[in-house]
Amino acid sequence: MKLTKWLGISAAAVAAALLLVGCGNSNNSSSGSNGKSITFWYGGDADTAVKPMVDAFTKKTGIKVKIQSIPWSQYNDKLLTAAASKSGPDLVLMGTTGMANYVSSKSLMDISKEVKSDKNISPDKYFEGSVRTTEFNGKYYAVPWYVETRVLYYRKDLLKQVGYNEAPKTWDELYDAATKLSKRGKNMYGFNVDFAEPTFGFMFARQNGATLIKGKTPQFNKKPTVEALEYLAQFYKNGASPKQDLKLTIGQSFGGKAPIPMFISGPWMMASVKKDAGLKDDQWGVAVLPKGKDNNMSNTGGGNLAVFNYSKNKSSAMKLLKYLSTESSQLKYYKNSDSMPTLKSAWTDKSLSDSRIQVFRKQLNSSEPMPLIKQWDQIGQNYLKAWEPVAMQGANVQKAMDQLNSQTEQLLNK
Amino acid sequence: MAKTLRDKLVPYTFVLPALLLLALFSLIPIFIALIISFTGLDITGLGDWSQIKFIGLQNYTQLFHDSAFLQSILNTGYYVVIGVPLVILLSLTVAILINFGQNRFFRFMRLVFYTPSITNTVAVAVVWTYMYNPSMGLLNNLFGKIGMGPFPWLSDPATAKISLIILAVWKAIGLNMLIFLAALQGIPESLYEAAELDGAGWWQQTRHITLPSLSFSIFFVTVTTLIGWFQFFDEPFVMTKGGPLNSTNSVALFVYQNGFQNSNFGYAAAGSFIMFAAIILATLVQFKLQKKQQGL
Repeated sequence: MKLTKWLGISAAAVAAALLLVGCGNSNNSSSGSNGKSITFWYGGDADTAVKPMVDAFTKKTGIKVKIQSIPWSQYNDKLLTAAASKSGPDLVLMGTTGMANYVSSKSLMDISKEVKSDKNISPDKYFEGSVRTTEFNGKYYAVPWYVETRVLYYRKDLLKQVGYNEAPKTWDELYDAATKLSKRGKNMYGFNVDFAEPTFGFMFARQNGATLIKGKTPQFNKKPTVEALEYLAQFYKNGASPKQDLKLTIGQSFGGKAPIPMFISGPWMMASVKKDAGLKDDQWGVAVLPKGKDNNMSNTGGGNLAVFNYSKNKSSAMKLLKYLSTESSQLKYYKNSDSMPTLKSAWTDKSLSDSRIQVFRKQLNSSEPMPLIKQWDQIGQNYLKAWEPVAMQGANVQKAMDQLNSQTEQLLNK
Repeated sequence: MAKTLRDKLVPYTFVLPALLLLALFSLIPIFIALIISFTGLDITGLGDWSQIKFIGLQNYTQLFHDSAFLQSILNTGYYVVIGVPLVILLSLTVAILINFGQNRFFRFMRLVFYTPSITNTVAVAVVWTYMYNPSMGLLNNLFGKIGMGPFPWLSDPATAKISLIILAVWKAIGLNMLIFLAALQGIPESLYEAAELDGAGWWQQTRHITLPSLSFSIFFVTVTTLIGWFQFFDEPFVMTKGGPLNSTNSVALFVYQNGFQNSNFGYAAAGSFIMFAAIILATLVQFKLQKKQQGL
């Protein structure tokens, strides 16, 4: 009696499971076997920037492309699901910081052969910092598509008032200008020492000559890093930087009287400043980062195109990848989205002659990605947690870094 | 007359769909999570199962040495201890007050109190974030008009917790009020009439008729609210990301951060099991108390 009962239940369960699997398959657009239809995952709120190029590709090759635009804030969740279920898109736009993770989960196809045989996507055509985000253990897993680097945004008019006709060029000048600007009154600051950006302190540490990680040993509590962070903490201590997120829009923080007249950010900020800050063109500018003891190295980010390892349409996906990687496609994408091309040759184009964009170009000569290891996300989060008490309560930098260092050591040797 | 096999199977076919869904989307995942919690599963293991290592109880021991986890337990405890009684007290009060009358005003008030609970938590949390904004938010502007503040709603560790609780309580009152209202309207009028004849005042009627008659709905609301608050997630996730200084981080958010941001799935699964155990335990205690009460 009991047995039959359970048999009935399990038979029904199997039937239902089959039904669900069936639904799953029909929804899963990537498994179209004819190779004439592929899926492209694109990070962003809308596909308007990339749609025209993809349409042109479909026209040329007859391969249909379904673009799925996923907001960046949910992009990683979505990728995790794809990596775990081993089903997902055919072509995927990867943020450079996510590369190490998904290479280690074997979700991205090794395209070394293509990269080495096709001159058009050969690594030496791209910025070195970008290429480094595609190469792991001597193999290539993606092609750089657009590049980001961070520069100093500053208010020309306000800096003039404190005696700076140009943007600060060294750490000392940055500190001096920021301090002077913060003396303008209550709730006025000079420079934003970003406490929400996990790469900020590490960027300054490298400018001070720090190697962040040697082999499996983090160097966060060594002198170069600690010195750089103490330099940054000084901005909080003398009121030159806000200690907490003021939750201001860019118009409020950088426009008008500009409580925060200097900050470091990437190219995506250009459009917001132009649109929302209400500033005249000669009131603000961008400049390469001030030089530390060693260099003025910035942080390279951006997006790479990669083929999903479990795709059944790899050759079609590869075709789209190559199509999107041509110089004309990159330039078109730049015009549609302000994302800067990774092809060095593209930068001679007229559309990139804007003097502000050229500052980014100059900064790219001194810009590298953060260490490309799968633990880096967590290290960045841990750094933010360690840094918060320094910013808010003036905690001891050396102690905070000692702790971060041992935490990281554990993480790397797990 | 003995039931045939078919007769016996009939009820099962009715509950089968629900059981299947429960198994597929709750029981099986919980079981898998339990296994994962004994492994060091991370992003590498996700793609290549041969890389998954069983590490026994290491995740659990490490959790109890992780100051961030311990703090998130304390924070969650704080949310539960303050939030749950507040929700019950306020929604019960509102329900009793609204039950006073049937005219348009009372119906309108019912709508006013119920509206927050049909809103989407994430959307509302975004709106409240604007209201809590230190320099241009509605609240600080209003308080500024009467010469108070500005308050560091979300930027001070102690205040931020309270700010989140205010939002969550505001949102939770509506639904529970409705449950209480339904129960209130089910209390036979004759009880009150008898009490009135005996000369009982309003407070005595409430104390000796209303509250005891509501005991089951109070129990129900307590259990559901308790479970909800143990899983406090949306508000800190949207509004504070667990900050400042980790002061608003809840266990649920801690699990999310470790699982989906840092890809430490094993560690996150272990954290979620501790939460699971805590919820089961709290609910069992509730049931025990309820049984005792009914036994008396």
